[in-house]
Amino acid sequence: MPVDHGPHLDTPPDPFADRLSRALHRTGGAFDADRRALAAGGAARGRRKRLLRRTALAGGTAAVAAVCLGGTLLLAPGDRDDTPRPAPVAGSRTATASSTAAPVTADRMIATLKGLLPEGTVSDARGGGSGGRTAAPFAQLVFDDGKGAAALSVGLGRVAPGGDDARQLTECPDKVLAAYDACTSERQPDGSVVRVLKGYEYPDRRVDTRLWTADLVSADGAHVSVSEWNAAAEKDAPVTRPEPPLTAAELRDLATAPAWRDAVGSLPAAEEVTAAPAAPGGWRIAGVLAALMPDGVKVAARGSQDSEFAYVVADDGKGASYVQVNVQPGMSDVAGELFGSGAETLPDGTLVAEHQGPGDRGDLVMWTVDTLRPDGRRIVVSAFNAASQTTAATRATPALTMGQLRAIALSSRWLALG
Amino acid sequence: MRQARADEYAEFAAARAGHLYRSACLLTAGDTHLAEDLVQETLGRIYVSWRRVARVGNPAGYAQTVLARAFLAHHRRRSSTERVTATLPDVAAASGDATLRVTLLDALGRLPAKDRAVVVLRYWEDRSIQETADAMNTSPAAVRTRCVRALARLRDLLGEDVGEYARP
Repeated sequence: MPVDHGPHLDTPPDPFADRLSRALHRTGGAFDADRRALAAGGAARGRRKRLLRRTALAGGTAAVAAVCLGGTLLLAPGDRDDTPRPAPVAGSRTATASSTAAPVTADRMIATLKGLLPEGTVSDARGGGSGGRTAAPFAQLVFDDGKGAAALSVGLGRVAPGGDDARQLTECPDKVLAAYDACTSERQPDGSVVRVLKGYEYPDRRVDTRLWTADLVSADGAHVSVSEWNAAAEKDAPVTRPEPPLTAAELRDLATAPAWRDAVGSLPAAEEVTAAPAAPGGWRIAGVLAALMPDGVKVAARGSQDSEFAYVVADDGKGASYVQVNVQPGMSDVAGELFGSGAETLPDGTLVAEHQGPGDRGDLVMWTVDTLRPDGRRIVVSAFNAASQTTAATRATPALTMGQLRAIALSSRWLALG
Repeated sequence: MRQARADEYAEFAAARAGHLYRSACLLTAGDTHLAEDLVQETLGRIYVSWRRVARVGNPAGYAQTVLARAFLAHHRRRSSTERVTATLPDVAAASGDATLRVTLLDALGRLPAKDRAVVVLRYWEDRSIQETADAMNTSPAAVRTRCVRALARLRDLLGEDVGEYARP
Protein backbone atom coordinates (compact mmCIF):
# COMPACT_ATOMS: atom_id res chain seq x y z
CA MET A 1 0.00 0.00 0.00
CA PRO A 2 1.28 3.47 -0.72
CA VAL A 3 2.92 5.30 2.12
CA ASP A 4 1.63 8.71 1.21
CA HIS A 5 -1.31 9.66 -0.87
CA GLY A 6 -3.46 12.62 -1.73
CA PRO A 7 -2.90 15.65 0.48
CA HIS A 8 -0.37 13.78 2.59
CA LEU A 9 2.24 13.74 -0.15
CA ASP A 10 4.90 15.43 1.91
CA THR A 11 7.94 13.24 1.46
CA PRO A 12 9.54 11.95 -1.70
CA PRO A 13 8.62 8.40 -2.54
CA ASP A 14 11.04 5.96 -1.00
CA PRO A 15 10.94 2.34 -2.09
CA PHE A 16 12.28 1.25 1.26
CA ALA A 17 9.55 3.15 3.11
CA ASP A 18 6.97 1.48 0.87
CA ARG A 19 8.29 -1.92 1.72
CA LEU A 20 8.46 -1.00 5.39
CA SER A 21 4.83 0.09 5.31
CA ARG A 22 3.79 -3.22 3.76
CA ALA A 23 5.83 -5.13 6.33
CA LEU A 24 4.24 -3.17 9.19
CA HIS A 25 0.77 -3.94 7.89
CA ARG A 26 1.52 -7.62 7.53
CA THR A 27 3.09 -7.79 10.97
CA GLY A 28 0.64 -5.54 12.82
CA GLY A 29 -2.35 -7.17 11.20
CA ALA A 30 -1.43 -10.52 12.72
CA PHE A 31 -1.91 -9.39 16.32
CA ASP A 32 -5.26 -10.19 17.78
CA ALA A 33 -6.71 -9.81 21.23
CA ASP A 34 -9.96 -10.21 23.10
CA ARG A 35 -11.55 -6.94 22.05
CA ARG A 36 -14.44 -7.15 24.48
CA ALA A 37 -12.06 -7.66 27.37
CA LEU A 38 -9.97 -4.68 26.26
CA ALA A 39 -13.06 -2.49 25.88
CA ALA A 40 -14.38 -3.56 29.29
CA GLY A 41 -10.98 -2.97 30.88
CA GLY A 42 -10.86 0.48 29.34
CA ALA A 43 -14.30 1.39 30.64
CA ALA A 44 -13.40 0.20 34.12
CA ARG A 45 -10.29 2.35 34.07
CA GLY A 46 -12.30 5.29 32.81
CA ARG A 47 -14.79 4.99 35.65
CA ARG A 48 -11.94 4.90 38.14
CA LYS A 49 -10.31 7.98 36.55
CA ARG A 50 -13.59 9.84 36.69
CA LEU A 51 -14.00 9.00 40.34
CA LEU A 52 -10.47 10.14 41.14
CA ARG A 53 -11.05 13.36 39.29
CA ARG A 54 -14.22 14.16 41.18
CA THR A 55 -12.45 13.43 44.43
CA ALA A 56 -9.62 15.73 43.49
CA LEU A 57 -12.04 18.52 42.57
CA ALA A 58 -13.86 18.18 45.86
CA GLY A 59 -10.53 18.38 47.63
CA GLY A 60 -9.70 21.65 45.92
CA THR A 61 -6.81 20.29 43.88
CA ALA A 62 -7.84 22.21 40.82
CA ALA A 63 -4.69 21.59 38.83
CA VAL A 64 -5.38 17.91 38.36
CA ALA A 65 -9.11 18.24 38.01
CA ALA A 66 -11.18 18.64 34.93
CA VAL A 67 -12.80 22.03 34.63
CA CYS A 68 -15.93 23.00 32.81
CA LEU A 69 -16.06 26.19 30.83
CA GLY A 70 -18.79 27.25 28.47
CA GLY A 71 -20.41 23.87 28.80
CA THR A 72 -17.38 22.07 27.41
CA LEU A 73 -15.16 19.74 29.34
CA LEU A 74 -11.60 20.91 29.21
CA LEU A 75 -8.61 19.21 30.62
CA ALA A 76 -6.51 21.07 33.11
CA PRO A 77 -2.74 21.39 32.64
CA GLY A 78 -2.01 18.31 34.65
CA ASP A 79 -3.46 16.20 31.90
CA ARG A 80 -1.96 17.99 28.98
CA ASP A 81 1.32 16.16 28.75
CA ASP A 82 -0.04 13.04 27.21
CA THR A 83 -3.66 13.71 26.45
CA PRO A 84 -4.36 15.56 23.23
CA ARG A 85 -7.14 18.06 22.88
CA PRO A 86 -9.43 17.31 20.00
CA ALA A 87 -10.64 19.94 17.57
CA PRO A 88 -12.10 22.86 19.44
CA VAL A 89 -15.81 22.92 19.92
CA ALA A 90 -17.50 26.19 19.04
CA GLY A 91 -17.69 28.53 21.99
CA SER A 92 -14.95 26.93 23.94
CA ARG A 93 -11.52 28.19 24.71
CA THR A 94 -8.69 26.86 26.70
CA ALA A 95 -8.10 28.05 30.21
CA THR A 96 -5.03 27.24 32.20
CA ALA A 97 -4.83 27.69 35.91
CA SER A 98 -1.31 29.06 35.83
CA SER A 99 -1.44 31.51 32.95
CA THR A 100 -3.65 34.46 32.24
CA ALA A 101 -1.90 35.38 28.98
CA ALA A 102 -4.18 35.98 26.02
CA PRO A 103 -4.16 33.22 23.43
CA VAL A 104 -2.22 33.90 20.26
CA THR A 105 -4.67 34.38 17.42
CA ALA A 106 -4.22 33.61 13.75
CA ASP A 107 -4.76 37.29 12.93
CA ARG A 108 -2.04 38.33 15.34
CA MET A 109 0.36 35.78 13.82
CA ILE A 110 -0.31 37.02 10.28
CA ALA A 111 -0.10 40.70 11.23
CA THR A 112 3.18 40.15 13.08
CA LEU A 113 4.70 38.31 10.14
CA LYS A 114 3.58 40.98 7.66
CA GLY A 115 5.01 43.71 9.89
CA LEU A 116 8.43 42.05 9.94
CA LEU A 117 8.79 41.58 6.17
CA PRO A 118 10.71 43.97 3.90
CA GLU A 119 9.10 45.85 0.98
CA GLY A 120 6.94 43.67 -1.19
CA THR A 121 3.46 42.32 -1.76
CA VAL A 122 1.72 39.73 0.36
CA SER A 123 -1.03 37.35 -0.70
CA ASP A 124 -2.74 34.13 0.37
CA ALA A 125 -2.12 34.75 4.07
CA ARG A 126 -3.34 32.01 6.38
CA GLY A 127 -2.73 31.31 10.02
CA GLY A 128 -3.63 29.40 13.13
CA GLY A 129 -3.79 30.42 16.76
CA SER A 130 -2.88 28.79 20.02
CA GLY A 131 -6.49 27.74 20.59
CA GLY A 132 -6.48 25.48 17.54
CA ARG A 133 -6.19 21.75 17.34
CA THR A 134 -2.44 21.70 17.59
CA ALA A 135 -2.01 24.67 19.93
CA ALA A 136 0.94 25.61 17.72
CA PRO A 137 0.37 29.06 16.25
CA PHE A 138 1.53 29.61 12.70
CA ALA A 139 1.24 32.01 9.79
CA GLN A 140 2.00 31.40 6.17
CA LEU A 141 1.75 33.62 3.13
CA VAL A 142 3.12 34.25 -0.32
CA PHE A 143 5.63 37.09 -0.42
CA ASP A 144 6.87 38.81 -3.55
CA ASP A 145 9.66 41.37 -3.44
CA GLY A 146 9.25 41.94 -7.17
CA LYS A 147 11.55 39.12 -8.18
CA GLY A 148 9.12 36.23 -7.90
CA ALA A 149 6.47 34.88 -5.55
CA ALA A 150 7.73 32.83 -2.63
CA ALA A 151 6.02 30.87 0.13
CA LEU A 152 7.03 31.96 3.62
CA SER A 153 5.89 30.61 6.95
CA VAL A 154 6.50 30.96 10.64
CA GLY A 155 5.52 28.56 13.40
CA LEU A 156 5.78 28.83 17.16
CA GLY A 157 6.04 26.12 19.74
CA ARG A 158 7.83 24.90 22.77
CA VAL A 159 10.43 22.20 23.17
CA ALA A 160 11.90 20.77 26.32
CA PRO A 161 15.00 22.85 27.19
CA GLY A 162 18.14 20.82 26.71
CA GLY A 163 16.20 17.94 25.20
CA ASP A 164 16.65 15.94 22.07
CA ASP A 165 14.34 18.14 20.00
CA ALA A 166 16.09 21.33 21.11
CA ARG A 167 19.42 19.89 20.08
CA GLN A 168 18.22 18.60 16.73
CA LEU A 169 16.62 21.93 15.86
CA THR A 170 19.75 23.94 16.55
CA GLU A 171 22.61 21.71 15.45
CA CYS A 172 23.66 21.67 11.83
CA PRO A 173 22.79 18.24 10.46
CA ASP A 174 25.46 15.84 9.32
CA LYS A 175 26.18 16.70 5.69
CA VAL A 176 26.45 13.09 4.75
CA LEU A 177 22.96 12.35 6.07
CA ALA A 178 21.15 15.48 4.86
CA ALA A 179 21.51 17.54 1.70
CA TYR A 180 22.01 21.27 2.20
CA ASP A 181 24.16 24.12 0.93
CA ALA A 182 24.98 26.06 4.06
CA CYS A 183 24.25 26.00 7.76
CA THR A 184 25.16 28.23 10.67
CA SER A 185 24.29 27.78 14.31
CA GLU A 186 25.03 30.65 16.65
CA ARG A 187 24.31 31.48 20.23
CA GLN A 188 22.62 34.82 20.87
CA PRO A 189 23.50 37.12 23.79
CA ASP A 190 20.36 35.99 25.64
CA GLY A 191 21.39 32.33 25.54
CA SER A 192 19.10 31.29 22.71
CA VAL A 193 20.53 29.46 19.71
CA VAL A 194 19.60 30.19 16.09
CA ARG A 195 20.28 27.82 13.26
CA VAL A 196 19.98 29.01 9.67
CA LEU A 197 19.87 26.16 7.19
CA LYS A 198 19.89 26.53 3.41
CA GLY A 199 18.49 23.27 2.21
CA TYR A 200 16.08 21.73 -0.21
CA GLU A 201 12.44 20.76 -0.02
CA TYR A 202 13.18 17.36 -1.46
CA PRO A 203 16.15 15.59 0.09
CA ASP A 204 17.02 13.91 -3.20
CA ARG A 205 16.72 17.25 -5.05
CA ARG A 206 14.62 15.75 -7.79
CA VAL A 207 13.10 19.23 -7.97
CA ASP A 208 15.34 22.14 -7.07
CA THR A 209 12.88 23.75 -4.68
CA ARG A 210 15.02 25.44 -2.09
CA LEU A 211 13.88 25.50 1.52
CA TRP A 212 15.69 27.90 3.79
CA THR A 213 14.87 27.80 7.47
CA ALA A 214 15.80 29.63 10.63
CA ASP A 215 15.09 27.91 13.94
CA LEU A 216 15.45 29.69 17.24
CA VAL A 217 15.34 27.76 20.50
CA SER A 218 15.60 29.84 23.65
CA ALA A 219 17.10 28.73 26.94
CA ASP A 220 13.61 28.18 28.31
CA GLY A 221 12.42 26.13 25.33
CA ALA A 222 10.66 28.70 23.13
CA HIS A 223 10.88 27.56 19.51
CA VAL A 224 10.43 29.91 16.55
CA SER A 225 10.69 28.36 13.12
CA VAL A 226 10.75 30.44 9.93
CA SER A 227 10.80 28.87 6.47
CA GLU A 228 10.95 30.31 2.99
CA TRP A 229 10.94 28.74 -0.43
CA ASN A 230 11.82 29.85 -3.96
CA ALA A 231 8.37 28.78 -5.10
CA ALA A 232 4.88 30.03 -4.29
CA ALA A 233 4.05 26.84 -2.41
CA GLU A 234 5.95 24.30 -0.37
CA LYS A 235 5.19 21.41 -2.70
CA ASP A 236 4.22 20.89 -6.29
CA ALA A 237 4.69 24.49 -7.40
CA PRO A 238 7.15 25.66 -10.04
CA VAL A 239 10.33 27.39 -8.94
CA THR A 240 9.78 31.14 -9.41
CA ARG A 241 13.25 32.47 -8.61
CA PRO A 242 16.79 31.18 -8.10
CA GLU A 243 16.69 31.62 -4.32
CA PRO A 244 14.15 32.44 -1.61
CA PRO A 245 13.64 36.19 -1.08
CA LEU A 246 15.15 36.76 2.38
CA THR A 247 18.89 36.46 2.89
CA ALA A 248 20.26 34.27 5.65
CA ALA A 249 20.73 37.34 7.86
CA GLU A 250 17.18 38.58 7.20
CA LEU A 251 15.83 35.13 7.94
CA ARG A 252 17.73 35.01 11.22
CA ASP A 253 16.47 38.48 12.19
CA LEU A 254 12.93 37.41 11.42
CA ALA A 255 13.24 34.38 13.70
CA THR A 256 14.78 36.39 16.53
CA ALA A 257 12.18 39.19 16.45
CA PRO A 258 10.99 39.84 20.02
CA ALA A 259 7.33 39.76 18.92
CA TRP A 260 7.51 35.98 18.45
CA ARG A 261 9.02 35.43 21.85
CA ASP A 262 6.15 37.32 23.47
CA ALA A 263 3.69 35.09 21.65
CA VAL A 264 5.48 31.88 22.61
CA GLY A 265 5.38 33.07 26.20
CA SER A 266 1.66 32.44 26.28
CA LEU A 267 1.99 28.80 25.23
CA PRO A 268 2.08 25.99 27.76
CA ALA A 269 5.51 24.60 28.52
CA ALA A 270 6.63 21.48 26.69
CA GLU A 271 6.65 18.21 28.44
CA GLU A 272 9.86 17.48 30.27
CA VAL A 273 11.74 14.77 28.48
CA THR A 274 14.92 13.03 29.32
CA ALA A 275 17.58 13.97 26.85
CA ALA A 276 18.54 11.15 24.55
CA PRO A 277 21.57 9.38 25.90
CA ALA A 278 24.80 10.50 24.29
CA ALA A 279 26.40 8.04 21.93
CA PRO A 280 29.87 7.51 23.33
CA GLY A 281 30.26 4.32 21.32
CA GLY A 282 29.45 5.80 17.93
CA TRP A 283 32.57 7.89 17.50
CA ARG A 284 34.77 5.07 18.69
CA ILE A 285 33.14 2.84 16.09
CA ALA A 286 33.80 5.49 13.45
CA GLY A 287 37.43 5.59 14.56
CA VAL A 288 37.84 1.85 14.22
CA LEU A 289 36.12 1.84 10.84
CA ALA A 290 38.43 4.63 9.61
CA ALA A 291 41.48 2.80 10.91
CA LEU A 292 40.46 -0.38 9.07
CA MET A 293 40.37 1.26 5.64
CA PRO A 294 42.80 -0.44 3.27
CA ASP A 295 45.97 1.29 2.08
CA GLY A 296 45.31 3.88 -0.59
CA VAL A 297 41.79 4.62 0.62
CA LYS A 298 41.40 7.97 2.34
CA VAL A 299 38.66 8.89 4.81
CA ALA A 300 36.99 12.09 3.60
CA ALA A 301 34.41 12.24 6.39
CA ARG A 302 33.16 10.22 9.30
CA GLY A 303 30.19 10.35 11.62
CA SER A 304 27.85 8.54 13.92
CA GLN A 305 24.21 8.76 14.90
CA ASP A 306 24.04 6.45 17.86
CA SER A 307 26.11 4.12 19.95
CA GLU A 308 25.93 1.22 17.50
CA PHE A 309 26.29 2.90 14.13
CA ALA A 310 28.99 4.83 12.32
CA TYR A 311 30.02 5.64 8.78
CA VAL A 312 32.96 6.95 6.84
CA VAL A 313 33.08 8.43 3.37
CA ALA A 314 35.97 6.61 1.76
CA ASP A 315 37.84 7.83 -1.31
CA ASP A 316 40.40 5.85 -3.25
CA GLY A 317 40.95 8.73 -5.69
CA LYS A 318 38.22 7.48 -8.04
CA GLY A 319 35.19 8.94 -6.28
CA ALA A 320 33.53 9.03 -2.88
CA SER A 321 32.10 5.85 -1.38
CA TYR A 322 29.89 5.71 1.71
CA VAL A 323 30.78 2.87 4.08
CA GLN A 324 28.70 2.17 7.16
CA VAL A 325 28.96 -0.26 10.03
CA ASN A 326 26.58 -1.44 12.72
CA VAL A 327 28.03 -3.01 15.83
CA GLN A 328 25.19 -4.71 17.65
CA PRO A 329 25.59 -6.82 20.78
CA GLY A 330 23.17 -9.55 21.78
CA MET A 331 21.97 -10.63 18.34
CA SER A 332 22.26 -14.40 18.80
CA ASP A 333 18.52 -14.79 19.21
CA VAL A 334 17.86 -13.68 15.65
CA ALA A 335 20.78 -15.53 14.07
CA GLY A 336 18.40 -17.78 12.18
CA GLU A 337 16.58 -14.85 10.61
CA LEU A 338 19.70 -12.90 9.71
CA PHE A 339 21.84 -15.79 8.53
CA GLY A 340 19.91 -18.33 6.52
CA SER A 341 21.05 -21.63 5.14
CA GLY A 342 23.39 -19.88 2.69
CA ALA A 343 25.57 -18.44 5.45
CA GLU A 344 29.11 -19.55 5.98
CA THR A 345 30.36 -20.69 9.39
CA LEU A 346 34.01 -19.99 10.24
CA PRO A 347 36.06 -22.38 12.40
CA ASP A 348 35.55 -20.14 15.46
CA GLY A 349 31.77 -20.26 15.00
CA THR A 350 31.39 -16.80 13.45
CA LEU A 351 28.60 -16.64 10.85
CA VAL A 352 29.24 -14.71 7.64
CA ALA A 353 26.77 -13.71 4.93
CA GLU A 354 27.55 -11.60 1.87
CA HIS A 355 25.05 -9.60 -0.19
CA GLN A 356 25.45 -7.50 -3.31
CA GLY A 357 22.33 -5.69 -4.38
CA PRO A 358 20.77 -2.41 -5.51
CA GLY A 359 20.71 0.62 -3.23
CA ASP A 360 17.84 2.96 -2.56
CA ARG A 361 18.22 5.09 -5.62
CA GLY A 362 18.16 3.38 -8.96
CA ASP A 363 21.80 4.06 -9.71
CA LEU A 364 23.20 2.89 -6.37
CA VAL A 365 24.64 -0.45 -5.41
CA MET A 366 25.04 -1.69 -1.86
CA TRP A 367 27.59 -4.32 -0.95
CA THR A 368 27.28 -5.88 2.46
CA VAL A 369 29.20 -8.33 4.63
CA ASP A 370 27.20 -9.38 7.67
CA THR A 371 28.88 -11.25 10.52
CA LEU A 372 27.74 -12.69 13.84
CA ARG A 373 30.36 -13.63 16.43
CA PRO A 374 29.74 -16.55 18.80
CA ASP A 375 29.29 -14.01 21.64
CA GLY A 376 26.25 -12.57 19.84
CA ARG A 377 27.99 -9.47 18.50
CA ARG A 378 26.90 -8.60 14.99
CA ILE A 379 29.21 -6.52 12.78
CA VAL A 380 27.62 -5.60 9.49
CA VAL A 381 29.52 -3.45 7.01
CA SER A 382 28.00 -1.98 3.85
CA ALA A 383 29.61 0.08 1.11
CA PHE A 384 27.95 2.17 -1.59
CA ASN A 385 29.08 3.65 -4.91
CA ALA A 386 28.10 7.15 -3.76
CA ALA A 387 29.00 9.63 -1.03
CA SER A 388 25.77 8.84 0.83
CA GLN A 389 22.68 6.68 0.54
CA THR A 390 20.68 9.52 -0.94
CA THR A 391 23.01 11.14 -3.46
CA ALA A 392 23.85 10.22 -7.03
CA ALA A 393 26.35 7.52 -7.87
CA THR A 394 29.93 8.75 -8.08
CA ARG A 395 31.33 5.51 -9.50
CA ALA A 396 30.25 2.11 -10.79
CA THR A 397 31.13 0.09 -7.69
CA PRO A 398 32.06 0.90 -4.06
CA ALA A 399 35.66 1.83 -3.26
CA LEU A 400 36.11 -1.40 -1.30
CA THR A 401 35.96 -4.93 -2.67
CA MET A 402 33.86 -7.63 -1.05
CA GLY A 403 37.10 -9.14 0.23
CA GLN A 404 38.10 -5.85 1.87
CA LEU A 405 34.65 -5.45 3.43
CA ARG A 406 34.92 -8.97 4.77
CA ALA A 407 38.32 -8.25 6.30
CA ILE A 408 36.90 -5.14 7.99
CA ALA A 409 33.86 -6.97 9.36
CA LEU A 410 35.97 -9.82 10.71
CA SER A 411 38.67 -7.62 12.24
CA SER A 412 39.48 -8.37 15.84
CA ARG A 413 39.56 -4.63 16.53
CA TRP A 414 35.76 -4.58 16.94
CA LEU A 415 36.10 -6.89 19.92
CA ALA A 416 38.31 -4.33 21.66
CA LEU A 417 35.39 -1.88 21.73
CA GLY A 418 34.06 -3.80 24.72
CA MET B 1 -22.53 8.47 31.91
CA ARG B 2 -26.04 8.39 30.52
CA GLN B 3 -27.14 5.11 29.01
CA ALA B 4 -27.27 6.27 25.38
CA ARG B 5 -23.83 7.78 25.67
CA ALA B 6 -22.53 4.72 27.49
CA ASP B 7 -23.81 2.50 24.69
CA GLU B 8 -22.19 4.77 22.14
CA TYR B 9 -18.87 4.56 23.98
CA ALA B 10 -19.11 0.77 24.32
CA GLU B 11 -19.75 0.43 20.61
CA PHE B 12 -16.81 2.68 19.80
CA ALA B 13 -14.48 0.86 22.18
CA ALA B 14 -15.41 -2.56 20.84
CA ALA B 15 -14.99 -1.40 17.26
CA ARG B 16 -11.61 0.25 17.82
CA ALA B 17 -9.99 -2.03 20.40
CA GLY B 18 -8.62 -4.43 17.80
CA HIS B 19 -6.90 -1.77 15.73
CA LEU B 20 -5.65 0.05 18.81
CA TYR B 21 -4.18 -3.21 20.06
CA ARG B 22 -2.41 -3.89 16.77
CA SER B 23 -0.95 -0.36 16.80
CA ALA B 24 0.11 -0.82 20.41
CA CYS B 25 1.86 -4.09 19.55
CA LEU B 26 3.94 -2.28 16.93
CA LEU B 27 4.66 0.64 19.27
CA THR B 28 5.82 -1.74 21.99
CA ALA B 29 7.74 -3.86 19.48
CA GLY B 30 5.73 -6.96 20.31
CA ASP B 31 5.32 -6.56 24.08
CA THR B 32 1.71 -7.73 24.12
CA HIS B 33 1.23 -7.24 27.86
CA LEU B 34 2.31 -3.63 27.68
CA ALA B 35 0.19 -3.25 24.55
CA GLU B 36 -2.93 -4.43 26.39
CA ASP B 37 -2.17 -2.05 29.22
CA LEU B 38 -1.75 0.90 26.83
CA VAL B 39 -5.00 0.13 25.01
CA GLN B 40 -6.95 -0.02 28.27
CA GLU B 41 -5.32 3.22 29.40
CA THR B 42 -6.27 4.81 26.08
CA LEU B 43 -9.85 3.62 26.23
CA GLY B 44 -10.02 4.75 29.86
CA ARG B 45 -9.03 8.27 28.88
CA ILE B 46 -11.51 8.26 26.02
CA TYR B 47 -14.19 7.14 28.46
CA VAL B 48 -13.56 10.09 30.74
CA SER B 49 -13.90 12.63 27.95
CA TRP B 50 -16.26 10.70 25.71
CA ARG B 51 -18.87 13.45 25.59
CA ARG B 52 -16.30 15.76 24.08
CA VAL B 53 -14.55 13.12 21.99
CA ALA B 54 -17.81 11.99 20.43
CA ARG B 55 -18.37 15.48 19.07
CA VAL B 56 -15.07 15.77 17.24
CA GLY B 57 -14.83 14.73 13.64
CA ASN B 58 -12.61 11.71 13.94
CA PRO B 59 -12.80 9.90 17.29
CA ALA B 60 -10.93 6.90 15.86
CA GLY B 61 -7.96 9.05 14.87
CA TYR B 62 -8.15 10.82 18.21
CA ALA B 63 -7.95 7.46 19.99
CA GLN B 64 -4.82 6.59 18.00
CA THR B 65 -3.26 9.88 19.07
CA VAL B 66 -4.11 9.19 22.72
CA LEU B 67 -2.49 5.78 22.34
CA ALA B 68 0.72 7.19 20.86
CA ARG B 69 0.93 9.71 23.69
CA ALA B 70 0.21 7.08 26.33
CA PHE B 71 3.06 5.05 24.87
CA LEU B 72 5.47 8.01 24.92
CA ALA B 73 4.39 8.90 28.46
CA HIS B 74 5.06 5.34 29.52
CA HIS B 75 8.58 5.61 28.14
CA ARG B 76 9.23 8.93 29.79
CA ARG B 77 8.38 7.32 33.11
CA ARG B 78 10.87 4.59 32.49
CA SER B 79 14.60 5.12 32.53
CA SER B 80 16.11 6.78 29.49
CA THR B 81 17.82 3.63 28.32
CA GLU B 82 16.25 2.16 25.27
CA ARG B 83 14.54 -1.16 25.60
CA VAL B 84 15.95 -3.85 23.43
CA THR B 85 13.55 -6.73 23.10
CA ALA B 86 15.09 -9.39 25.26
CA THR B 87 12.63 -12.10 24.38
CA LEU B 88 10.98 -12.98 21.16
CA PRO B 89 7.52 -11.50 20.84
CA ASP B 90 4.82 -13.95 21.83
CA VAL B 91 2.84 -14.22 18.64
CA ALA B 92 1.70 -17.30 16.86
CA ALA B 93 4.71 -18.52 14.93
CA ALA B 94 2.94 -20.80 12.52
CA SER B 95 2.38 -18.42 9.63
CA GLY B 96 4.80 -17.86 6.77
CA ASP B 97 5.26 -14.27 7.93
CA ALA B 98 6.77 -15.37 11.22
CA THR B 99 10.32 -14.60 10.16
CA LEU B 100 9.42 -11.14 8.99
CA ARG B 101 7.43 -10.50 12.15
CA VAL B 102 10.26 -11.47 14.47
CA THR B 103 12.85 -9.53 12.50
CA LEU B 104 10.67 -6.43 12.12
CA LEU B 105 9.60 -6.32 15.76
CA ASP B 106 13.17 -6.82 16.85
CA ALA B 107 14.28 -3.94 14.63
CA LEU B 108 11.48 -1.72 15.96
CA GLY B 109 12.58 -2.63 19.47
CA ARG B 110 16.01 -1.25 18.75
CA LEU B 111 14.70 2.20 17.85
CA PRO B 112 14.36 4.92 20.46
CA ALA B 113 10.73 5.20 21.57
CA LYS B 114 10.05 8.47 19.78
CA ASP B 115 11.59 7.21 16.56
CA ARG B 116 9.41 4.11 16.80
CA ALA B 117 6.33 6.25 17.34
CA VAL B 118 7.21 8.25 14.22
CA VAL B 119 7.58 5.06 12.18
CA VAL B 120 4.28 3.62 13.41
CA LEU B 121 2.35 6.85 12.88
CA ARG B 122 3.86 7.49 9.46
CA TYR B 123 3.99 4.01 7.96
CA TRP B 124 1.33 2.06 9.82
CA GLU B 125 -1.18 4.85 10.43
CA ASP B 126 -0.23 6.53 7.13
CA ARG B 127 -0.19 9.93 8.75
CA SER B 128 1.47 12.96 7.18
CA ILE B 129 4.48 14.64 8.75
CA GLN B 130 2.24 17.40 10.09
CA GLU B 131 -0.29 14.97 11.57
CA THR B 132 2.52 12.97 13.15
CA ALA B 133 3.97 16.15 14.61
CA ASP B 134 0.56 17.08 16.03
CA ALA B 135 0.12 13.68 17.63
CA MET B 136 3.56 13.79 19.19
CA ASN B 137 3.42 17.42 20.33
CA THR B 138 6.52 18.22 18.35
CA SER B 139 7.52 20.10 15.24
CA PRO B 140 7.39 18.81 11.67
CA ALA B 141 11.13 19.46 11.49
CA ALA B 142 11.75 17.16 14.43
CA VAL B 143 9.51 14.50 12.88
CA ARG B 144 11.40 14.70 9.61
CA THR B 145 14.69 14.32 11.43
CA ARG B 146 13.46 11.33 13.40
CA CYS B 147 11.94 9.79 10.30
CA VAL B 148 15.15 10.00 8.29
CA ARG B 149 17.14 8.59 11.18
CA ALA B 150 14.69 5.78 11.90
CA LEU B 151 14.48 4.74 8.25
CA ALA B 152 18.27 4.67 8.00
CA ARG B 153 18.47 2.52 11.10
CA LEU B 154 15.74 0.16 9.94
CA ARG B 155 17.39 -0.09 6.56
CA ASP B 156 20.54 -1.20 8.31
CA LEU B 157 18.73 -3.64 10.55
CA LEU B 158 16.30 -5.11 8.05
CA GLY B 159 18.21 -4.83 4.84
CA GLU B 160 17.12 -2.98 1.75
CA ASP B 161 14.43 -5.50 0.83
CA VAL B 162 12.86 -5.41 4.33
CA GLY B 163 11.62 -8.93 4.43
CA GLU B 164 10.22 -9.07 0.92
CA TYR B 165 12.08 -12.38 0.88
CA ALA B 166 9.59 -13.68 3.44
CA ARG B 167 6.69 -13.10 1.09
CA PRO B 168 4.71 -16.33 0.84
